[in-house]
Amino acid sequence: MVVPILLGITFLTFMLLRIGDQDPVAMLAGPMADEAAFAEIERELGLDQPFFIQFGVYVGKLATGDLGESWQSSERVADEIRNRLPASLELLLSAVFLGAIVGVPVGLRAAQRPNKLFDQVSRFVSLFGFSVPTYWIALMSIFVFFFLLGWAPPPLGRLDLATFPPRDITGSYLVDSLLTGQWSTAWTAAGQLALPVILFSIIVAAPIIKHTRAISLEVLNSDYVRYAKSQGLRPRTVRRIALRNSITPVLTFIGTELTGLLAAVSLLELIFAWGGLGQWGLNAILTGDFAAVQGYVLVLALFSVAVFVVIDVLVLLLEPRATLRP
Amino acid sequence: MSLLEVSNLHTHFISHDLNNNLRIAKGLNGVTFEVDKGEVVGIVGETGAGKSLTAMSIMGLLQPPARVVEGSVRFDGNEILGLPAEELNKIRGTELTMIVQSPLTSLDPLSRVGKQLVRAQREHRNISKDEAWAAGVETMTTVGIPDPERRMSAWPHELSGGMAQRVLIALALINGPRMIIADEPTTGLDVTVQAQILDLLQGLVRDRDMGAMIITHDLGVVAHYCTRICVMFAGSIIETGPVRRVFNDPRHPYTQALISSTPKRIAEKGYGQIGGPPPNLYALPAGCHYRDRCSRAAEVCHTSPLLQEIGAAHHARCHFATESSSESATVQHG
Amino acid sequence: MTDIAVTSPADPGFTWSGRILGITRRSPTFAIGFLIVALFAFVAVFANVISPFGAIETFSSKVLLPPGREFWFGSDGNGMDVFSRVMHGARFAFGIAVPSAIIMLVIGVPLGLIAGYKGGMIDEVVLRTMDVIRSFPSIVLALAVVAATGQSLVNVVLVIGFLDAPIFTRLVRSEVLALRSSGFVDSAVAAGNPTWRILFVHLLPNAIRGSTAMIAVRMAWAVRISATLAFIGVGIQAPTPEWGAMIRQGAEFIISGEWWVALFPGLALVGIVLGFNLLGDGLQDLLDPRRKATGK
Repeated sequence: MVVPILLGITFLTFMLLRIGDQDPVAMLAGPMADEAAFAEIERELGLDQPFFIQFGVYVGKLATGDLGESWQSSERVADEIRNRLPASLELLLSAVFLGAIVGVPVGLRAAQRPNKLFDQVSRFVSLFGFSVPTYWIALMSIFVFFFLLGWAPPPLGRLDLATFPPRDITGSYLVDSLLTGQWSTAWTAAGQLALPVILFSIIVAAPIIKHTRAISLEVLNSDYVRYAKSQGLRPRTVRRIALRNSITPVLTFIGTELTGLLAAVSLLELIFAWGGLGQWGLNAILTGDFAAVQGYVLVLALFSVAVFVVIDVLVLLLEPRATLRP
Repeated sequence: MSLLEVSNLHTHFISHDLNNNLRIAKGLNGVTFEVDKGEVVGIVGETGAGKSLTAMSIMGLLQPPARVVEGSVRFDGNEILGLPAEELNKIRGTELTMIVQSPLTSLDPLSRVGKQLVRAQREHRNISKDEAWAAGVETMTTVGIPDPERRMSAWPHELSGGMAQRVLIALALINGPRMIIADEPTTGLDVTVQAQILDLLQGLVRDRDMGAMIITHDLGVVAHYCTRICVMFAGSIIETGPVRRVFNDPRHPYTQALISSTPKRIAEKGYGQIGGPPPNLYALPAGCHYRDRCSRAAEVCHTSPLLQEIGAAHHARCHFATESSSESATVQHG
Repeated sequence: MTDIAVTSPADPGFTWSGRILGITRRSPTFAIGFLIVALFAFVAVFANVISPFGAIETFSSKVLLPPGREFWFGSDGNGMDVFSRVMHGARFAFGIAVPSAIIMLVIGVPLGLIAGYKGGMIDEVVLRTMDVIRSFPSIVLALAVVAATGQSLVNVVLVIGFLDAPIFTRLVRSEVLALRSSGFVDSAVAAGNPTWRILFVHLLPNAIRGSTAMIAVRMAWAVRISATLAFIGVGIQAPTPEWGAMIRQGAEFIISGEWWVALFPGLALVGIVLGFNLLGDGLQDLLDPRRKATGK
């Protein structure tokens, strides 16, 4: 099931890029180039070949794990991804963690007393999170916390200019500097992370609140919760039964959100000059770097596959009903 | 004093419509009945008549917008209506237990059968896990579950419908209740299993001198297993009495129609069909609620009929209840 | 015990104030959302009248003035009045939300009707195609397509409509399946109705009803994503008074402290998107009161 979907996505991206009227050759050649230079670049990139030959060549290389080279930087796409993905994951996973530890309890609490004050307020907050553009709230917070209050460091990447990155272990500067005992580096990295993570966790928490509430309401109205009440179990016990039964669907939901969030985080990366995968992918799309775009889309797809594998394993551990999928 | 005394129970669904007008659906309109120990009372009626609502109201399981607005429920002489959960739980699940209608969805999917049996005891009584486990195995044996030790470690989803229903019965018995409310305990089970389950239930009630209330829409079940019958229509009990009496001499036209619609009776007596939709609970007609569907409806039916005593413990809520049923049968024919 | 004579309440009847109160009681979110969207619609229609200046009228000597008596929301880097531009931006918001919603429905609904009604191969193919489209993170796909197909308002609208069509296909399809299994379709067929009539006369109205709330939610998304595209520099370009493009203009002044250029268009954007979202959320409560209690 995974391979056909990946192939389909690769094909669709391939086609979209080539039927568009974006002209990567002109961008690469620059305004002074002549016909011969154009032809040379086209030949180099393989753009002179028929569409299906181009696609065949790409997939052929892909099968051997070769993602090609970026048209802009001539770096290997696989290397670029390897270097940038940790930065994005560091931001994304911290924000998802924060968003979940705030959003899940809020959703659960809202479901306890539907349509009462807490529920109405949390629903409004959640809808606000759905409605506020990431980049705008980022700009406004930079103004307030950096320009006005000076609490946040300048939004210029993952470390300040005077700090060297720690030895590469996980790729996350915070984790790596903690692992190698470089406390001041860790402090700097955490400071750089704080604002974007908090902002992104607002975006992350919105759907988590909404869906946790819905899932929890469904569980609270289930036959087994009503039956538990009829058994005269203590309210605390009934709540625990409801909670345990809500965990799997909530986890699954958060998993389904992750890929979209990995894409959405690119806007924050842009504003905080994060240098992660998203910023790179965004740039690739804008500059017509077809090889890089192709690689970016593939990583997103693979990421979602990976997330689903993890979720499946978790469900298998948590759910007696779950069995291994054939 | 009977074990369970329900009197004048009114349960309403209260909401507002889009024009901000108060909307009240009168789910129960003054339900009164008693269940004594050693008795099996059958509650019958069509969907929406208020059978399950009665059980939910008694057990304190109503969810908004449903609310008891009037009436009283006494268990062993003590009022239990409106008690907070902590107080109610001294009776609910121990003295007064319930068997619900969808066993497969009612067991906690994330707890093994044994754990649920142990939990049900330890929530109410101070006993050790081992004791509770042993009691669980014993009760599983009582309700006829083969290989109970092994079933104790089964997950609910691994049980068949009949087996899950037996587990529910075991859960209902585990704390030695004095009364059981069974809400359609055998719907969805095949006929052989139905009979086994009901035989089991009847035997237990008799042996332990408990009271039982069985909600069903199967008159056959009532005829076989119950000592008394309450027929509900539009949120009221319209006829009640000893099973044999009511079956042989039904006085309310609805009861007559209900009984006649069982295949055997149709062949024997040829009563008319039940026919017609249930009345709109948002706008119940004044007077007799069955009026619009009744073949005997007359001018007097625009006033509310009183519960009339027909014979020993046999009552019916109909203006014509005191006329004999053979007469009413002819009227229906005419 | 005597039975109390049951009185049915007098027919309540309809009054406007009663209806407004009733809706507000059932769903405060709907009421607030409706108010917000109505306010923005008013602004869009009367943008010319409300604005003291033209949307692209420049005052080259009055660049980056803070909010004051002349320029209520300040002036931007080109010496344009931010207030007038924000007011005119409402037109773009509706100009994108409404047509893209129409396109979503025009593409998505018939596909859903046919897939649900015909079933089999057609259903399978439609569903799989929609799955592949939806498996892309929408922002990436929107960006890629707009970057590739050229940057114009029409393209943005088309892309948004196309990307969201699968949502309605799925909704309508499941709605049709439900209607099919209820025997509703069978009786229409038995009555001798031709297929197109069953699809568009019998199934469509029922199926659409289930999509109403989603339309508002997707309009919110349309406004949001189009602004995002403009912010990235794809799609609508400055000096068009589109909120996303205006925030992009304002971004460079944030570090130097000229906050008003980005703040006000952003507030307007949050306002209208929130309005549509509240509207959609509230519509769900109104159309399916049970959902509110059960969360479905």
